[in-house]
Amino acid sequence: MSDHKQPDLARREFLGRGAAAAAAGVVLAPGVMLYGVAQAKPADEPVSSKVRWGMLVDTSKCSNGCNACVDACNKEHGLGNETHSRDTQRTQYIRKVELRHKFTGATHSLPVMCQHCETPPCVDVCPTGASFKRADGIVLVDRHICIGCRYCMMACPYKARSFVHEALTDQRPHTPRGKGCVESCTMCVHRVDEGRQPACVEACAADGSHAIIFGDLNDPSSEIAQRVKTYASSEIRADLGLNTGVRYQGL
Amino acid sequence: MKRLLQLLSMAVLALTLSAPALAGEGGRTPLPSIPAAKGDQCVEDTAVMRRDHMKFLKHHRDATMHQGIRTEKYSLKACLECHAPVEGATAANGKTEEGHFCVNCHVYAGVTLDCFECHATKPETTAQFHPLVSPASAALKATERTDSTVLLNRLVGVSENKAGVAHE
Repeated sequence: MSDHKQPDLARREFLGRGAAAAAAGVVLAPGVMLYGVAQAKPADEPVSSKVRWGMLVDTSKCSNGCNACVDACNKEHGLGNETHSRDTQRTQYIRKVELRHKFTGATHSLPVMCQHCETPPCVDVCPTGASFKRADGIVLVDRHICIGCRYCMMACPYKARSFVHEALTDQRPHTPRGKGCVESCTMCVHRVDEGRQPACVEACAADGSHAIIFGDLNDPSSEIAQRVKTYASSEIRADLGLNTGVRYQGL
Repeated sequence: MKRLLQLLSMAVLALTLSAPALAGEGGRTPLPSIPAAKGDQCVEDTAVMRRDHMKFLKHHRDATMHQGIRTEKYSLKACLECHAPVEGATAANGKTEEGHFCVNCHVYAGVTLDCFECHATKPETTAQFHPLVSPASAALKATERTDSTVLLNRLVGVSENKAGVAHE
């Protein structure tokens, strides 16, 4: 798998984000911008490192007890069909985490999934190259190569990965899953390639919360890039310097 | 002499023709049951598909997984749209299942097939057709079995068009 191109980080840092500014929205009138609508790439074209898919979670809009994103994810990927595994073993692509500040008592509820790091520790440690990052920043497991050693599960600071312990049936056609492989949030890569939004984002919006937005962080005219630019957002475990694709606002 | 040769060649031809028929219906040679697919042509010729389908699939799987190339030709998902298993057939246990195109033939050929340990065994919608397949062929029944004589001819590589040898 060594021939699969990973984005050249050094070169990208050198070029900076300025190069992408040329693709910004068109100014129709002062203060009125025409933002480009995200287009699905043609099916026969490889993904490009010009795009960096990301998500922004507004924790002030995410309500305690709401599980819409988790349910949508489970449904989309056909999760939860393990019959012999314990609850702690069952696959989770996304989970809700409740936080409480010990001193102020402030509480937050937020979804946590694979953070799609720019420099993913899971990819670093994978002995077979099964854990990899697509050119557009989505971190995936190639189950054809995964040997199920679970080193990536140890390495992930977000506990985002799960291992399938038993033979499965009735998988969804777009999410093949099986015994002996590690898996995690795919950022609904099958939907993204079609120009659609991930299932959790769609469900959150349908629920009226609009707490998660999805888009291209490299495209300055996209909503997510605008929001990240305008409002303070943070990464979980920012101290690790992983430059995650999933960011949180209001934490 | 010429007449004798002609007779001889005819006799040989007759033997060749009758051999598969003997082995087929009620014969001792076991044959896989191959359900007919939707549509009237595959993405490549049958002979090419029979020999090289695994190469196409493997190449396409890497392109899809790593580069996000999601063309329908050579995709396993598109295979199953046409070669949809009949109702109730699964491939999970790796045994011959009535009506599963892939599994039946792999079991017959002694090939371990592990695609379906992870991949869905059936399409979610069977209404779709591969773009290469004309919608006019939609009337083809999915459960129709191929005649075993024709099947054996196919297995031993006898083409229907070749010198008028086999016929259905």
